Amino acid sequence: MAEIATSPTYRRAGGLRRLLERYPFLPALAIVLVLLALNGIFSPNSLSYRSLTGLLSTYMALILLAIAQTYVVYAGDIDLSAGSILSLVNVAIIVLMERWGGGAGAVLLALAIGLLLGLACGLVNGLVVAALRLQAIVATFATSIFFTGLALYILPVAGTPAPTIFWRTYGGRLLGLPFVFYILVGLVVLLAVLSRTRLATQLLAVGDDQQAAYQTGLPVVAIRIRGYLLCGLFSALAAFCITGDTASGDPLVGGKMTLFSVAAVVLGGSALSGGWGTVVGSLLGALTIGLISSVVFFMGTPSEWQNFVQGLAILVVLMAGVLAGRRARP
Amino acid sequence: MTKFIAFALGTVASLVVSASVVNAETFKIGLSNGWVGSEWRTQMIDEAKEAAAKWKDKGVDVEVSVQSANVDVPGQIAHIRNFIAEGVNAIIVNPNSPTAFDPIFAQAKEAGILVIATDAEVSSPDAIYVGIDQTAWGAAGAKWLAETLDGKGKVVAINGVAGHPANEMRVAGYKSVFKDFPDIQIVNEVNANWDQAQGQQSMQNILATYPDINGVVVQDGMAAGAWKSITDAGKKDQIAATGEIRKDFIDLWIKEKLNSGATVNPPGVMASALNVAVLMLQGKELKEPAKAGQYGNALYLPIPFIDSKNVEEAAKQLEGKPGYYSYTSSLTIEDAEALFK
Repeated sequence: MAEIATSPTYRRAGGLRRLLERYPFLPALAIVLVLLALNGIFSPNSLSYRSLTGLLSTYMALILLAIAQTYVVYAGDIDLSAGSILSLVNVAIIVLMERWGGGAGAVLLALAIGLLLGLACGLVNGLVVAALRLQAIVATFATSIFFTGLALYILPVAGTPAPTIFWRTYGGRLLGLPFVFYILVGLVVLLAVLSRTRLATQLLAVGDDQQAAYQTGLPVVAIRIRGYLLCGLFSALAAFCITGDTASGDPLVGGKMTLFSVAAVVLGGSALSGGWGTVVGSLLGALTIGLISSVVFFMGTPSEWQNFVQGLAILVVLMAGVLAGRRARP
Repeated sequence: MTKFIAFALGTVASLVVSASVVNAETFKIGLSNGWVGSEWRTQMIDEAKEAAAKWKDKGVDVEVSVQSANVDVPGQIAHIRNFIAEGVNAIIVNPNSPTAFDPIFAQAKEAGILVIATDAEVSSPDAIYVGIDQTAWGAAGAKWLAETLDGKGKVVAINGVAGHPANEMRVAGYKSVFKDFPDIQIVNEVNANWDQAQGQQSMQNILATYPDINGVVVQDGMAAGAWKSITDAGKKDQIAATGEIRKDFIDLWIKEKLNSGATVNPPGVMASALNVAVLMLQGKELKEPAKAGQYGNALYLPIPFIDSKNVEEAAKQLEGKPGYYSYTSSLTIEDAEALFK
């Protein structure tokens, strides 16, 4: 990323290329718009205000989990435990809210503890991967089993309703607008702030060339640990959303979401090898996954072919993204 | 924003118009399945589609719309949202989570949609459950085993996925039975995640660790794996173990004269649920409201049992079917009608 600004060849590039350099998530955005249009063609109802709100409130958890994943992917790492962190935080806050009576104060306190728990999980991952230098893919797979075990200890079977105040707020409205819109706005502001911090650039630098980053004096280990901390934090936020949308605790809820979060990162145009990517792309990638599965249904695909078509569609989108992205990347 | 609202109003209006135009005896039913890891689920959907087609003879048009894919919980919530957007009359769902659908089912009900869960119970007061009682399912196999062993012996259990509600209920079921047989000792319980290969592996380990066991409680497809290990170890005459309901296993059971008994979790549960749904959409009322189970919203279906006495009959039903086909049973339209006033 840093090279782009200094390299004179790219300054002379055409308008489209310059646009892609500046906003690498544009292909992902175009894909989301195309999918929205397809949904609208096959089922006009799916573009209603209510359906779009629903889409957002259901996929907000995956959006946040994909963003969590993006920060570790920036540095060339991966977190296969993100979904398990989500499950763990989900059951922890559910059990705490119930134990403390479910009032507004209890909810806020439980959420604060949930954030700390997410950070703690991120710290464990960071220490294991960056400080102990275990391979990220296997180490976080192991911690995912560990976190799932903890979640099962806290809540052995799915159940325990969330306090009404919590999920009514998440699924409800504030000043006439759905609550998830405020979450989205808050998220965009948070991402904008984070992308201007030194940490984002440092993560990308580490992902681009770890050796070079080390030689220029960057504290590589500390930076990678901070990446995992951010990942844990956003996984906890994702857990809040899933708790809001499902109003209950489920120790296995996040298991399947991990790989979807990785897929969303890649669909959003980030490179799994690190050093290149945007969080906005991941946000759009998560929406892409959601929109693909609904368009497959609205097209009237027979049930036995739905998985096949969905997989194929994801591949096609991936290829389109790669072709567009190749123009912008050095 | 105003454009959206206008659009939403427009679609609502068109829905109302189209709803009043269609004949009262046309129903659109959405089927959602969130996991496609086994043939059992495929058969479940196929049987439900057949059940829907049978309503034609009664002059009722039942249109089914299926969403079946490997999804996470949010993905299945999206299934339900899609059905609401499509404007179905009823949704039948094999849910990925017992509790996570409370808010979305509430929204479906607000939209005037009947929601029925099958195969796994849900906590939502806005839905009913039509299916078997998994606790009774677990108890039936254990009862057979305890009686076969004359109430004494060493028993191991091979369970499914820890934390999965159906698994926990089945475990509670067999535990409650063995409690009444003080001479039956559960020496070990393992989780093999409803995977045939893992079931086989676990059984091998168990046989190596406890060479003197008499009985095994094992669920579903894992039973075929466990029985493979038992046969390979040459112990099929000393050990009694629960079985499963796929044709391959039932054929093996007869051929090898296994000492087995299988509680049936029929893939026809979704077909049964569909028949109940159509009758409810016709405005009929259940004789006994669905108030059973831990969530107070269940209508339990009878659970068939196969043992060595009737295994030949079961084999007859499966004749000519592929090896992965499961023994099944479901409420016919007449059976379902008998449940209503």
